[in-house]
Formats: sequence, C-alpha cells, structure tokens
Amino acid sequence: MRNLLNFLAKYNNLIIFLILEGIALYLLSTGNNYHNTRIVKGIRGITQGIEQRMSNTRAYFHLAEINQALALENTSLKNSIERLVKEEDLHFFLITDTIYQQQYVYTSARVIDNSIYKQKNFFTLDKGTKQGLSAEMVVVSGDNAAGMIVGCSDNYSVVMSLLNIDFKLSARLKSNGYFGSLSWDGRDYRHAVLSEIPQHVTFGIGDTIETTGYSAVFPEGIMIGTISDFKKTGGDFYNIEVTLATDFKKLYYVNVIGNMKKTEQIELEKQFE
Amino acid sequence: MINRILRFGLIFILLLLLQVLLFNNIQFSRYVNPYVYLMFILLLPFEIPAWLLLIISFFTGLIIDLFSGTPGMHTSATLLAGFVRPFVLRIISPRDGYESGADPSMIVYGFRWFLTYTAIIVVIHHTALFYLEVFRLTDFFRTLARVLLSSLFSVTFILLLEYIRKGK
Repeated sequence: MRNLLNFLAKYNNLIIFLILEGIALYLLSTGNNYHNTRIVKGIRGITQGIEQRMSNTRAYFHLAEINQALALENTSLKNSIERLVKEEDLHFFLITDTIYQQQYVYTSARVIDNSIYKQKNFFTLDKGTKQGLSAEMVVVSGDNAAGMIVGCSDNYSVVMSLLNIDFKLSARLKSNGYFGSLSWDGRDYRHAVLSEIPQHVTFGIGDTIETTGYSAVFPEGIMIGTISDFKKTGGDFYNIEVTLATDFKKLYYVNVIGNMKKTEQIELEKQFE
Repeated sequence: MINRILRFGLIFILLLLLQVLLFNNIQFSRYVNPYVYLMFILLLPFEIPAWLLLIISFFTGLIIDLFSGTPGMHTSATLLAGFVRPFVLRIISPRDGYESGADPSMIVYGFRWFLTYTAIIVVIHHTALFYLEVFRLTDFFRTLARVLLSSLFSVTFILLLEYIRKGK
C-alpha cells in the first residue's frame, strides 16, 4: 500500500497528464465524427453569436460581389421562366398531375463561418432545424456542389465541406456516364481527385464532372467541376484531377437541397441488402 | 497574488481574442496557421505546480477547441505542451537558475533564451496538433512542412507580442 502511494506521489503529474490526454483523445476521436450532432449542437451554440457578428462584417465587405452573383442568378431564373412559359403555351390544356410529387426542396442560407486551409474543413450556416434543415441535406453554391450538412442545432447547421478528407462523393463524367468516387486529397482548395474511372474510358481535359443520384443524398447532375489533369494509376484506373466549380474562398450564399423521397429510396434499398 | 491572477486572466482573454478573431481568420495559406494562444502557457510563472499547469493547459486547449470547432485537437496538443514545459525549462535553465517569483520573460532572461524556449515548445505543440489533424502518415512530409512553416510564424508572432508586452 505504501509503495503504491509512493508511486502515485512520484508520478502524479504523469498520471494527471495521461488522464487528461485520454479525455482529449476521446473527444478527438468522437467529436470530429461524421454524424456526431450532439457535440456540434453543444459546442457551436456557445460561439455562434461571435461568428454571426463576424460574418455580418465580412458580408458587408463583399456586398458588391454578392449583388453581382444574385443578379446573374436572377437573369438565369428569368430565362428559365421564359422557357417554361413558352412550353406551356404549346399544350392544349393544363393537367394537374397528381402522381408527380416534388422531390427536392430548396432553402437558401448564408455561410457564417468557413475554413479552407485545414485538412477537415467545415462551414456553418445561419439556418437550422427550425428553418427545416436536417443532417444529410446537400449544400450547393449556385449550381455547384459544396458540401453536406452533418449536424443541426435550432438555428445553425454545420456543413462538411467538399474540402474535407473524410468526404466521399459518387461522381460521374457527364459526357459518357462512367462514375467513380470523388474525394479531396487535402492539398489545394481548388482541386479534388476523382478515382475509380477505368482506363478504357475516353475523356479529355475540360470535361464536366457531376454528381450521380446513387447516394440518395445528392440529386443527380449537380456540377462538381471540370477535369484539369489525369494520370494512370497501377490498378487499371485513372486518377483524375478535378478543378472544383465552387470557389470555397468566397462562399457567402448557398442553397440547401433536401430530398423528400430519401427515406423511401433508402427503405426500398434496405429490403434488398 | 490576486493581482497576478487578474493579470494572467487579462493576458489569457487578450490572447484568446487575438487567436479567435484574428489568427483563425487569416486563411493565408494552408501551410501557415499560426497559433499564438500558446503564449499563455509560455508566460505562466516558473513556480506554478505541474498539476496546475496541466489543468490550465487542458482548459486553454478546450476553449480554443470550442471556438474552432475541433473537439480534442487543441486540447491534446496544448496539454502536451504544458506537460513538457517543466522539462524544457530545466534543460535550458541559465547557469544561476531562475529567480523565484519571476515569470518567463524576454527582459529578464534575454532574447536568445526566450527564442529557444518558445521555439521548442511551439514546435512540439504544432507537431502534435498537425499530425492529430490529419491523423495519418501518408503525406508525412507535407504535414511536416505545415508544422515547420506554421511554427515559424507562431514563434515570430509570439516574439512580437513579447516585444509589445515588454514596452508596456
């Protein structure tokens, strides 16, 4: 007993260090996790006031750019309305389709905190469960993929950015439909890597990469970027470097896409697993 | 004593604000992420008991983690820095030892001593931090470059802040 007490007295600092380090590593291993919304909820609540204020300041400095982007989006929306109205005129009468249901809902949100120079980048949106957002919804900037919501509190959401080494996305070549897996290699915030494209597929630099609808999270056909470089890897596959269409360095307004039929698809798929 | 606690509280809040409001937002390059909040651990008095130092380091890291949304990362790195600090101080101690009741500072122990002290602890802290962030050994050298460049900037900023403090 005396020996034990002596031992504890001699190494008490080491023991305190190991215990606290254990707690820290536990936090590290669970807290950064993909689906851990509980921690996100607790932690983000504390600091969001400050982040919101800083984002307000930043948004003020970028008003000109934001206006320009909004004007562009308005024009394209107006154009598409024109097209739709024209098409409607071609029909003889209008049918209310009861079988068709809306599959995707869009919500706009503002990015109030963002990072691009870490290995695991996340950004924060100023909307949360109260505004109808939930985990696993997709975030797009303009028409380009930006990330996926991993956790929501009442009024805020944390999004795992495409620039996160844990993020994997099913993506395909728009020209011929071959699909592979897109991930970020942690090097450069402008580029990501598309792998698992077999070597017999032909494509060229500048080809468009878009999302597939396979994951039930991302809608089909959302632009990811364009091919900027490729090389062959050992296992009969190409390693394709993709220039991302989203500029994460100036991400201010984004759209969140929720899939209303997601549970239906997942349940059906589960039956056949 | 109370005076001293208040002074360190003030230093802590200033460094925290600098880190969270300024340095976390610099986004200059992915190789350069300075972490100046570590200066707080460096400035604590010599005679602080090791267990208290560990607990202070733990909570310092935890608070930084809360603000950067990275649970556990800064906590474990700062804790490591707090753990090695007594050993580093012993290794680089001047010939006649440290005065009792003094704090580590550039005026008393000179520029070279302070630079060595800061550099050793910053490099240890940053090594732990950046390797924990990637959590893999592929791209070992890229992470190493991040560690060294970020350490360079952190040390520079800490020395600058120490100069400013000295002038006060």
